[in-house]
Amino acid sequence: MFKRLFVANRGEVAARIVRACRELQIEVVCAASTADLKANFQYLQQADQVVCIGGSAPSASYLQLEQIVQAAKQTNCSALHPGWGFLAENSLFAALCEQHGISFIGPDAATMDMMALKVPARAAAMAAGLPVVPGSEGLLDSPTDAIRVANEVGYPVVLKADAGGGGRGIRRCDNDGEVSKAFADAAREAESAFGNAALYLEKYILGGRHIEFQVLGDGRGKAIHLGERECSIQRRHQKLLEEAPSPMLNSEQRANYGEMSARATAHWNYSGAGTIEYLLDEDGSLYFLEMNTRLQVEHPVSESITGIDLMQQQIIIAAGGSLPCTQDEVQLNGHAIELRVNAEDTNDDFRPTPGELTKFRINGNSIRFDTHLQAGDSVPPYYDSLLGKVIAHADTREQCIDMLVAAIDDADVEGVPTTLGLQRNILLNDDFKNARCDTLWLESFLGGNK
Amino acid sequence: MAHVPLNPIGNERDTFLDEQEVARNSEFIANLKSTLDERRTEVAAGWGEKYQQRVHAKGKLTARERIELLKDNDSDIFEVGTFVNYGRKFDAGGKEMISPGAGVVTCFIKVEQRWVVAIANDNTVASGSWWPETSEKIQRAQQMALRLGIPAIYLVDCSGLFLPEQSKSFPGATGAGHIFKMNSLLSDQGVPQIAGVFGDCIAGGGYMPIISDRVFMTEQAYMVIAGAALIKGAKSQDLTSLGIGGPEVHVHQSGCADVRVPDDQHCIAAIRAEIAKTSSSAADYRRGDAAAAQPRFDASELNELFPSDHRTYYDVREVIARLVDRSTFWELMPDKGKDMITGIARINGLYCGIIANVQGPIDDPNNPGKVRPGGILYRDGIAKISEFSRTCNSDGIPIVWLQDISGFDIGTEAEARGLLGYGSNLIYSNSTNDVPMFTILLRKASGAGYYAMAGLPYDPVVQLSTTIARQSVMEGRTLAIAAFNTKLDDNFEIVADSEEEREKIAKGMAATEQRIEGDMCPYKAASQRDTDDIINPDEIRPWLSCLIEASYQAQANRRVKNPRIWSMHDIAALHGDA
Repeated sequence: MFKRLFVANRGEVAARIVRACRELQIEVVCAASTADLKANFQYLQQADQVVCIGGSAPSASYLQLEQIVQAAKQTNCSALHPGWGFLAENSLFAALCEQHGISFIGPDAATMDMMALKVPARAAAMAAGLPVVPGSEGLLDSPTDAIRVANEVGYPVVLKADAGGGGRGIRRCDNDGEVSKAFADAAREAESAFGNAALYLEKYILGGRHIEFQVLGDGRGKAIHLGERECSIQRRHQKLLEEAPSPMLNSEQRANYGEMSARATAHWNYSGAGTIEYLLDEDGSLYFLEMNTRLQVEHPVSESITGIDLMQQQIIIAAGGSLPCTQDEVQLNGHAIELRVNAEDTNDDFRPTPGELTKFRINGNSIRFDTHLQAGDSVPPYYDSLLGKVIAHADTREQCIDMLVAAIDDADVEGVPTTLGLQRNILLNDDFKNARCDTLWLESFLGGNK
Repeated sequence: MAHVPLNPIGNERDTFLDEQEVARNSEFIANLKSTLDERRTEVAAGWGEKYQQRVHAKGKLTARERIELLKDNDSDIFEVGTFVNYGRKFDAGGKEMISPGAGVVTCFIKVEQRWVVAIANDNTVASGSWWPETSEKIQRAQQMALRLGIPAIYLVDCSGLFLPEQSKSFPGATGAGHIFKMNSLLSDQGVPQIAGVFGDCIAGGGYMPIISDRVFMTEQAYMVIAGAALIKGAKSQDLTSLGIGGPEVHVHQSGCADVRVPDDQHCIAAIRAEIAKTSSSAADYRRGDAAAAQPRFDASELNELFPSDHRTYYDVREVIARLVDRSTFWELMPDKGKDMITGIARINGLYCGIIANVQGPIDDPNNPGKVRPGGILYRDGIAKISEFSRTCNSDGIPIVWLQDISGFDIGTEAEARGLLGYGSNLIYSNSTNDVPMFTILLRKASGAGYYAMAGLPYDPVVQLSTTIARQSVMEGRTLAIAAFNTKLDDNFEIVADSEEEREKIAKGMAATEQRIEGDMCPYKAASQRDTDDIINPDEIRPWLSCLIEASYQAQANRRVKNPRIWSMHDIAALHGDA
């Protein structure tokens, strides 16, 4: 096992990594920007060492790959955890770490490259036997090419940027005219947003549910899945509430899709934790969307129902270890729901609301609260607005909902506006209680509430 | 420390070139590329459609079709010697003839996932006969296979020497017969050689396949010391070349060939099956944990970096950034000899050493606060690349030389500092290196700098010229000055008794300058085999990906040290950057 690990991230995920390292008895060195150093969060106090890696803006600190690699070397770290966001899916960063003798906690750079672009990722998925949304086999040459493919798969279709992500560079088209009109615009937008004008096209799946399978691979051709999560409650592709298992899958579907996901993970010789995202359409068909080559924000719901600590397992696998168990030994127990508590004003288009948390207490029976903050801490304006995650685990979905509503009612949070009020409304909404929310639901719910 | 600390190199193009420069540079390169494309097409056509149809009418494939069929579907073709004899006319008994590509196609292709050198007589050019320069071109390709230890495949369809010009191709040290000596040397070193005989294979051609480990013959193929035309009484006895040297004889009676196959397609398939039995490539083993990766800055941007005026600077670091995997590089000795860059990178996932000239004004260590021109070899730079070259050789790291060199520093100071000695040391190092070296003439390849930086006379495995390369002993203007030295004063101004004389000298100098300018054309160099081929700047990266991978393909062929025990680390330690 590694002696000393470098945390190349901040906030909630950094706190989560520090906790896992302490449990695994690994010394931990945390990176901090000047703003975070000043905030002196609890996880920084718990670290064995803190290194200031630069200014407050992410571009001056958490995105400075060479500086971070140097800091990890100088503090004698043998491994580096990128967390999520920032450099977590930057293959150059992973390659630099390996080249300098630091184990990057995550898959190798080549696997990250393969999954980073939509077209190679689609090809990899097809080679591994995963169903993909009908669409172009590779990149599109021209509007004519796009129209040909669109007619093959049937309207409506979406034009997507090969390098796209986070919902950007996507255009829906309902007929030939719209395709030819949208093509140049989409290419231009993709070029300016991602520096890559390449486009491909897929059949547009209306609504649909966002289902993702958690997988663990050992990098030597073995892999298991830890069931699925559903994250359909999202706005502009930002998730607000996640749960496991999905109410939309029966146990047979779960076993089939899970086995398919694990088989693909093994096929790619994937190493560490990853998430294969799918779209589940109204007919119950599942389509591969993408693979996230990192741990996800919502990983605790999978941890809750399986009892497997994903953060620890990721580190163990990176150190050459084996998977924690066989697929048969993975037990899915009960239900779990996670709320992402963000410092955002839900009445003002989710504007981030940094400031000082005068009060910050959320707890309850069987409630897990993952956070890096405590009362009296300041939320710096430079980073994402995640304050923490409230996770309920119980036998049934209904119990989880009740526990979370009770926890929100009992919470003592003051100083900055949060998303908790909105999340309470969602939990109590009949559509949610009856599991009728697709990926478009939240937007219309928010529109109706205005 | 034993890690190879590759670090990011280069910048986004927009940060160092404005839009106008990009537009101007890319137009300049695009024009040269269209000439290159036209000329490649011209050579590939051989003697033209009529002769291609003639081949097809016999139920045979052309040389290029055979290569297309032989290679893996996803393999590119990296042709060498494309422009040998380009623009040259031969005398066929009073009739002028051309020999595109000297009547033979030589190239690197991947067959069953292994790089091979393919040598195919061009049966659309005088029935694949050997012209002046053909045997040299074949031997050059054989040499490449020998140096890299990768299989050589002969696709033989050759009617013998092109007789009217036999005196230029038969008797010399590199005359046709020397091909068979090369066959022997490849065999001696255990380099796999496979021959497919597809048609005529007369005299010299007849010997070429025999030394190969495996020889396949189609039903149209025959191999003879002399064809029926030279046998007395052949006509009355109804003898044909096919009858006396076809597969019926050589496969079944003489044993000079191994297997008979019905036609071209079967022959190619048989050769592919044979290659599949050779040992697989060690390249992936040598990559270790790293996979091949594209540069972060697109290699196609190389078409935008070079200014249209050869006297204008560009940043060679940005060139390197667009050649190496992930645009990462370990620069060695960065603080010494700043007119040169030396460092290690991965290309196609495999380590190589890169040596490049820095253009533009460079700090002059002898005159603090002053600068001096780049693209010139000064003492420290020579010492640096000598040391780097020897260390790459010692570690078994293939070397890529990126030349843009005007020559050695000259003058009182240069001589007093003993540049002749330092330069000779460099030449000695390069001359005795065993490691594969590849030389790319980015732009200027002038004077002894061209020699010292592993130009063609120093046996790089392959030397490529870009479309803007300029090879010569010196630039035209300098050469004119040297030639008219006695007529010039200290400032190289013309000294003349009369206006007439002055004009005459000026004219003479201009003519000299112009002629040298013409000589520096890369097509002239390629035609004379002074360079192996001409490529567009954005083709450098794919070429190097091929060549570096080929360098690591053969097992137990040469020294390959693991990076842990590289002597390169000693350099880093001694220069304080370990």
